[in-house]
Amino acid sequence: MLQLDVIADSLRLLLLPLRDLILAYVPAGWIMSLPAITLVIFGIIALVVGMRYNPLGISFIGVILAILEMVMFDPTVMSGYSFGNLFVRDAFTDLFVYIVLIVAFLVLMSSTLWGGDKGTYNFLLMISFAGALWVVMATDLVALFLAWELMSTPTYILVALGPRREAVDGATKYFVMGLLATMLMLLGVALTFGVAGTTDLSALSEYVNTLWASPIGNEPAAYTLLLAIVLFIVSFGFKVGIFPGWQWVPDAYASADGSVTAYLAGGSKKTGVSALLRILMIGFFFAKTEWAPLIAGVAVLTMVIGNVLALAQKDIMRMLAYSSIAMMGYLFIGVAAANEIGMAAAGFHAFTHAIMKTAAFILIWVMSYKLTKRITYDDLAGLSKRAPAAAAMFAILMLSLAGMPLTVGFWSKLVLFQSAVMADMWWLALFGLLNSVFSLGYYLRVMKFMYMEEPKDDSKLDLPLVPMVAVAICVFAVIALFIFPNVILDYAFQAAQIFFP
Amino acid sequence: MQLDFATNLISMLPMNILVLMLLIPLVGALVAFILGGKGSRAITLIITTLEMGLAILLILGTPSLGSDPGGMSHTISHMLARLGTDSSAPVFEIILGVDGLSLVMILLTNLVVWIAAISSNHIKESKGFYYCLFLVLQTGLLGVFMSLDLIGFFIWWELVLIPMFFIIGRWGEEGSRHAAVKFFIYTHLGSAVMLVGFFYLYFQSSMFNTHGIATAIPTFNMIALRNLGLDPWVQIGFALAIFMGAGVKLPVFPLHNWLPWAHVKAPTPGSVILAGILLKMGGYAFIRLGLWMVPDAIARLAIPFAIIAIFTCIYAAFTAMAQTDMKRLVAWTSINHMSWVLLGVAAYAAGSGSTNPAIQAAASLALQGSIFMMFSHGTIISVMFIVAGQLKYNAGTREIPDIKGLMAKAPKLSAVLILASLAAFGLPGFSGFIAEALIIFGSIVVFNWSAVIGFGIFITVGYMLWMLNRIVFSDPDPEKEVSEASWNDLIAPILMLIPVILLGIWPDLILDIVKPVVDAMLAGGAP
Repeated sequence: MLQLDVIADSLRLLLLPLRDLILAYVPAGWIMSLPAITLVIFGIIALVVGMRYNPLGISFIGVILAILEMVMFDPTVMSGYSFGNLFVRDAFTDLFVYIVLIVAFLVLMSSTLWGGDKGTYNFLLMISFAGALWVVMATDLVALFLAWELMSTPTYILVALGPRREAVDGATKYFVMGLLATMLMLLGVALTFGVAGTTDLSALSEYVNTLWASPIGNEPAAYTLLLAIVLFIVSFGFKVGIFPGWQWVPDAYASADGSVTAYLAGGSKKTGVSALLRILMIGFFFAKTEWAPLIAGVAVLTMVIGNVLALAQKDIMRMLAYSSIAMMGYLFIGVAAANEIGMAAAGFHAFTHAIMKTAAFILIWVMSYKLTKRITYDDLAGLSKRAPAAAAMFAILMLSLAGMPLTVGFWSKLVLFQSAVMADMWWLALFGLLNSVFSLGYYLRVMKFMYMEEPKDDSKLDLPLVPMVAVAICVFAVIALFIFPNVILDYAFQAAQIFFP
Repeated sequence: MQLDFATNLISMLPMNILVLMLLIPLVGALVAFILGGKGSRAITLIITTLEMGLAILLILGTPSLGSDPGGMSHTISHMLARLGTDSSAPVFEIILGVDGLSLVMILLTNLVVWIAAISSNHIKESKGFYYCLFLVLQTGLLGVFMSLDLIGFFIWWELVLIPMFFIIGRWGEEGSRHAAVKFFIYTHLGSAVMLVGFFYLYFQSSMFNTHGIATAIPTFNMIALRNLGLDPWVQIGFALAIFMGAGVKLPVFPLHNWLPWAHVKAPTPGSVILAGILLKMGGYAFIRLGLWMVPDAIARLAIPFAIIAIFTCIYAAFTAMAQTDMKRLVAWTSINHMSWVLLGVAAYAAGSGSTNPAIQAAASLALQGSIFMMFSHGTIISVMFIVAGQLKYNAGTREIPDIKGLMAKAPKLSAVLILASLAAFGLPGFSGFIAEALIIFGSIVVFNWSAVIGFGIFITVGYMLWMLNRIVFSDPDPEKEVSEASWNDLIAPILMLIPVILLGIWPDLILDIVKPVVDAMLAGGAP
């Protein structure tokens, strides 16, 4: 019995009539994809409504309805498959779907500041959310590819729509590299299909098992699959922002409007993690000894690149973008460990990173919008006097990103490093810890400017309420989850167990 | 020492006394933050006095070796996180409990924090936030000394950094921001390496069978980890991890660079807490995690540790002699004295394994001396830092060559300074003498070459007297304004001199509490 089940059960009881109604009219094969379908429908409605009125309310209703549908249809009591066997909902999927939906809600709250009043903006966001849900749910490589495109394509446009001049530059870089990644992914799918004759992940898993059991005479097939693994890591890693596909991250993050950045960092990045985890841990589970060292190397390089370059930044948005690269490096420590605790740690870190980074990006975006300039360290000087609440919240977020106690970042890093030690990779844990110390260089600098420097301009800074409420919710969660980490950690462990039946 | 009425009083408290001691400052921090301005100082004084009373009550009413596992008393645990969904999964916990060693450190913590609160009277800016951080700091410090679980220990250990970082950086003098960042990163680096050591112990505690499958639930509980048989190479690794974590805090030679910066730039109460307690966290970690938990690990590196300790002592003494800033001189004195603790630890680690009772007795003496040194140094250095900070207000500068004729112009301040300096270099009759004597009597039996540290005493006496000569006993310079310190400023150092002199005459006050624990450790650890 997990801690939030009580709430879920009472919600289910409350929604029983609605559930029966939906079950009566919607085809059984669609039920589990209903949250994503709802998002698409409400996206289209928002597009139409947006021609005359402010469509943001429609989007909110859509996201809330999607969350309720997630709760209503419990994959533990009914079949989790939808559209044949293409998409599945299980404990692992649900964790990442909830991450995406929570981030979606926060992003909509922050888009009240800019962009939320336009139909296209809402439409693109909702379609991308729907795509993200399907990416997380996909069990088939082709379905995964389609969902991936559905998620990515709107974000290229969303980045370009940003209010700043450089938005188009960032979007172009994002688009070109995104296309490259997509092509590599397609090649990976083709190679896999050519060798294994299937794109279904569980069928692929059986094939890999037999192939790895008797590799003699089948070397070409094995090497082709290894190449496919590398291609998958590169192409999904592009979205996640790990080595070698991280270059677009700072440009796109810093030039897009902050709500979209928050979605990219908090939501769509996690879908890349979930897709990669599913491919590696289900499809290529039996080739674990081959890809685990590769992932460890990727994790190390990503951490180093992220931390070193973050230290060199002046612009806070770019600093946060690089720190988010580094955070993904930590996450991949858990993937490299490839044990149950590592998978749980990765899932937990995905959740905590989503709330921390979403809040941080929204906060800086709000400030940047208010001051009509890019926020550098100098603009943070004396923030504790100009906007005490915002400064305190940002300080807590920075401490959490640095992994200090009293914030949930401590637990997520602790469990990650522990998973590496349990997999007998203590050197990887040590490397992660040293990087974590190194990262203090820029997190502490933020605190130094906010609390110890005198402001150039003493005037009070009034920040708009609704986005700040979104930030406050995240900060509250960051502290509450330090005291009760098991609220989420239990779900992460449940999610990890599906890889180790 | 256990008095019945105190035991009864403790059992009458509404909750476990340790939890109460941790919660009071946290609640107080919130109140102080809300009150702001003048009210926060009053509430801080009330809470620190209350904590001081509780510490005395605790030490009077608790046996050195209690009846709970590991010789602890008042044990209580709280589960933070469970790693897995079934009930047999490993857990992260906070386990609290005290034995004689913790009792002494808790008393010291509350004493120093109380004095630091009294001497915070020069803090004028954003008082509410300052006292809030101050009380959070107290919770963190107490938690470190009460913790019996490695993860709980690490949480408290790290929690201390955050308020200290703000106190140094925000209320310190020119250049304090750099010092604050340096302090934070140095200590965090040490802790990070120590954490890997913790994880390795955890990993070992699951006792793998020949197939590599864990046969027991791994744990972070210190008492459970005590009987772990570690591979010799792992022991060296663990000793180095402890050295990195605790050695930064203590500090010892290659890891000491943050200390002069942080101590000098911090506001006076910040320096008092830094030198008075934060350094003791390092000594405590050496004893609790090393000698108490995995004694074999430290024993492997006892000789290098002793050499480093002696070198640090002499090196720090020479460096202190070269300082012209009074506060910087006091900061280097801290390094000089804390290296004695490491020497005592190394001597105990080397001697405790011996079968010769004379060497065992010497080891016990050295360790008792180390613990006594931590207490005595905590009290003496607090006085020294308060006086050094006071010079800025009364003489306008802390530069030793610029202050002349303090005796003539400010006799009360001079008296305090002279007493503290005499205590610091270990004049008989003050607590510093007992500490140094115990450590050197013990260590010289184990390592006869450790007598070299006597050279350190020689230099220490030299620079202390030279400093007194220049500041106190010189002729007044008519061009320089020197005024007498007010009673408001003197009350804190004078209160702190009471334990310094009392312990010099009656050291058994502390040693009687410590000795049962050391004896139990020598006998292989209390069950």
